[in-house]
Amino acid sequence: MNRQSTSAYWVLALLSLAVLIPMASLLAVGRLPGFESSDLQFWHSSYIRRVLFFSFWQAFLSTIISLGLALLVARSIAFRGNFLLRNLLLKLFGLPIVVPSIVAVMGVVSVYGAEGWIPLGRSLYGLNGILIAHVFFNLPLAVRLLLPVWQSLPDHYWQLADQLRFTPWQRWVHIEWPAIRESLPGVALLVFMLCLTSFAVVLTLGGGPKSSTLEVAIYQSLRFDFDPTQAVILALLQLSLCLVVAFLGLSLQKLPEVEINISATSYARHTKNLLLHNTVILLAAIFVALPLLAMIIDAIRGPVIEVLGNSKLWLASAYTLMIGLSAAFCSVLAGWLLLRSSSELANRGKVNRAKWIELAGSVVYVLPPLVLGTGYFVLLAPHVDVFDWVFPIVILINSMMGLPFVIKVLSPAMRKNQMRYQNLCCSLALRGWHKFRWVDWPLLRRPMGLAAALVAAMAMGDLGVIALFGSVDTTTLPLMLYQQLGAYRIPQAAVSAVFLLLMCLIVFWLLERGLGGKYHVQD
Amino acid sequence: MIFFQKLLSASILAFIFAFNVQAAKPNLTVYTYDSFTSDWGPGPKVKEAFEKQCNCTLELVGLEDGVSLLNRLKLEGKNTKADLVLGIDTNLTAEARATDLFEPHALSMPKSTLPQSWNDDTFLPYDYGYFAFVYNKELLKNPPTSLKDLVKNPDGPTILIQDPRTSTPGLGLLLWVKKVYGDKAEEAWNQLSKRIVTVSKGWSEAYGLFLKGEADMVLSYTTSPAYHIIAEQDKRFAAAKFNEGHYQQIEVAGLLKSGNQKELSRQFLQFMLSKKFQSIIPQTNWMYPAILAKSDLPDGFNNLIDPSPSLLFDDQIISSNRKNWVNEWLEAMAN
Repeated sequence: MNRQSTSAYWVLALLSLAVLIPMASLLAVGRLPGFESSDLQFWHSSYIRRVLFFSFWQAFLSTIISLGLALLVARSIAFRGNFLLRNLLLKLFGLPIVVPSIVAVMGVVSVYGAEGWIPLGRSLYGLNGILIAHVFFNLPLAVRLLLPVWQSLPDHYWQLADQLRFTPWQRWVHIEWPAIRESLPGVALLVFMLCLTSFAVVLTLGGGPKSSTLEVAIYQSLRFDFDPTQAVILALLQLSLCLVVAFLGLSLQKLPEVEINISATSYARHTKNLLLHNTVILLAAIFVALPLLAMIIDAIRGPVIEVLGNSKLWLASAYTLMIGLSAAFCSVLAGWLLLRSSSELANRGKVNRAKWIELAGSVVYVLPPLVLGTGYFVLLAPHVDVFDWVFPIVILINSMMGLPFVIKVLSPAMRKNQMRYQNLCCSLALRGWHKFRWVDWPLLRRPMGLAAALVAAMAMGDLGVIALFGSVDTTTLPLMLYQQLGAYRIPQAAVSAVFLLLMCLIVFWLLERGLGGKYHVQD
Repeated sequence: MIFFQKLLSASILAFIFAFNVQAAKPNLTVYTYDSFTSDWGPGPKVKEAFEKQCNCTLELVGLEDGVSLLNRLKLEGKNTKADLVLGIDTNLTAEARATDLFEPHALSMPKSTLPQSWNDDTFLPYDYGYFAFVYNKELLKNPPTSLKDLVKNPDGPTILIQDPRTSTPGLGLLLWVKKVYGDKAEEAWNQLSKRIVTVSKGWSEAYGLFLKGEADMVLSYTTSPAYHIIAEQDKRFAAAKFNEGHYQQIEVAGLLKSGNQKELSRQFLQFMLSKKFQSIIPQTNWMYPAILAKSDLPDGFNNLIDPSPSLLFDDQIISSNRKNWVNEWLEAMAN
């Protein structure tokens, strides 16, 4: 009998410490004399109710729209099989996640603004603008996360469907939906969290303080009001909101009754609506590419040589790369350890416990880095020179923020592995490194590559707590970009933004290809 | 691999050098905001010039902005590494004073170009500016001539502003409107809100959107056009002169009680008020230097609008009313 894996509990314990200790330190500071205590009036004001409602509402709508469209697009890409530029398209879909929010806002405005290519005028500002930006960020991500669902459907399902002369609707109901239902709540939760914590995008494209989210209130209470207690309570409120949504979402989740696919699948021959699929893919590609294209055009018009000739840019790139890769490594490692136990639990029928473990690992995402970072500062400042700790903390926080991505990407693959090979490994007494090398790695390297690439991209685009901690001469690319914008160097910032994009594209390619391998094992 | 070896040996060398230098010279730590320390800010030039005369190492630590600066001090209290703080503005001086972490500078303030006399014994000003709405002269032919003109004309220009909860200029506009309208500020915001295209998190977003042509005017500084004139030879932009006057922002520096380089700190403050430091400010911080004579300003600064009369609340009044005024603004804007 194989020993039961307990690694998930260790990961969760560390994670809770990493989150609770800084928040407790902040609460302790808030109780010191000289700090304004949170006034009760604030909690009874209509402001906080409005903010709570709006946070939920915009995140809910953004999630529904992003996922609805992502299902269409992922389905079309899956059915279309291999096509020219397919890989490039999928790489392109990995990019929006890296775009710092201020750059994305500028990109969206270049396309849909008053002087844009598709001018929406004033109606851009409000829910429209928020939704466009959030779909731009999340549609591609959701497509990347949902696409493997179709790839996991066994070929003989389609043969059967052909024999039974299923209509497209019947195929959807009997074959695709049951498989999607397993993945969808998790992806939805991830997108919901991303939209819930969105800040600059919501405020700037939202048209005014009517569009304030909890994240704005947290920022305000920790900065202008400097009320750490209120900031921590608001952060916990955000966590609770997210948990409520997660409970509802996960209760809709149904684990697969679908059989595991072993044979390779080629969908193209099942496809009748080529024109429809092509149109869907083309529209999605245009939607995602337009703001990126606008950024590239701005960059080409900018002082490319001047920006690239600045040695600080290269130094900042090196730091950014280091943060991205380290965060990706830590996050994938933690995610893998966590999923090792949860997939084993799921395999032994304890599906609910597995779900909760994965949820617990994911929801820390909604705790604002500003709150955690300030907490770490309070914790460390009396004992060490904080400037020496900036990078470890940035990496730690980014790894935690990357965890939901890793869990989402790795979890289906690890469950599948567990189901398929656990018994075999037991009977062969294959354990530890050998099991990892010969059983896990060949099948996990692709999702691991994708997970690492997503976390790296996210961490690289993050302004992070560097700005919060203060820097002597360490700068990351996003920080440099903000400095350029703050110094009227808007054309220079456009070049830096695209440089950051290109760097992420390369990292994405290297991680997906390097870890994932060129010729992957079909699963 | 060779690259990494080189990198490693270079960083070891750098470390040794840094260590030696630190051991030989005293270190002066100044907390400031990161647009001051960035490549495009005054930081690098200030560091170079001061180190030439002080036989010390000037360590400029860049934090997000003036607000973060004050928060950092509150968190660190007496254990702060900083000897000096540079970059708090007049909206925050009352709160900064209340922390009881600063000590009197005990220096005499030279004759300044500030419109008011400066009698603060804790903080010394190094530059100042005025909030204003900036527009493109080719696109907006008849800009409003007063704040009231901007507010009451329903067909007036569209504007981009910043959120007073998150941004210093945003708070500046809030105070400006309060100064001009007093108790009727809420009504004014109500009227104005229809022409506010959006309220951004920070100055950069709003200014970027303005340059993309999203609105006729953006809340910025009277000195913003000087950047375009000097750095880009672009004369299209101007600030609209409002006859009620413009709200002022003064940036100051202060000396911390807990610092152990008092003499060096005072030397830095004196340097800050010297011509050397002051002449770096206009083309890096794009603000008016506090001491430098008008005739020593670069050309682009001489054709800017005259912002007088300058409007400024007493810092105590801001500190005790800010929360209520921001709430009032929220109510007015959300309805």
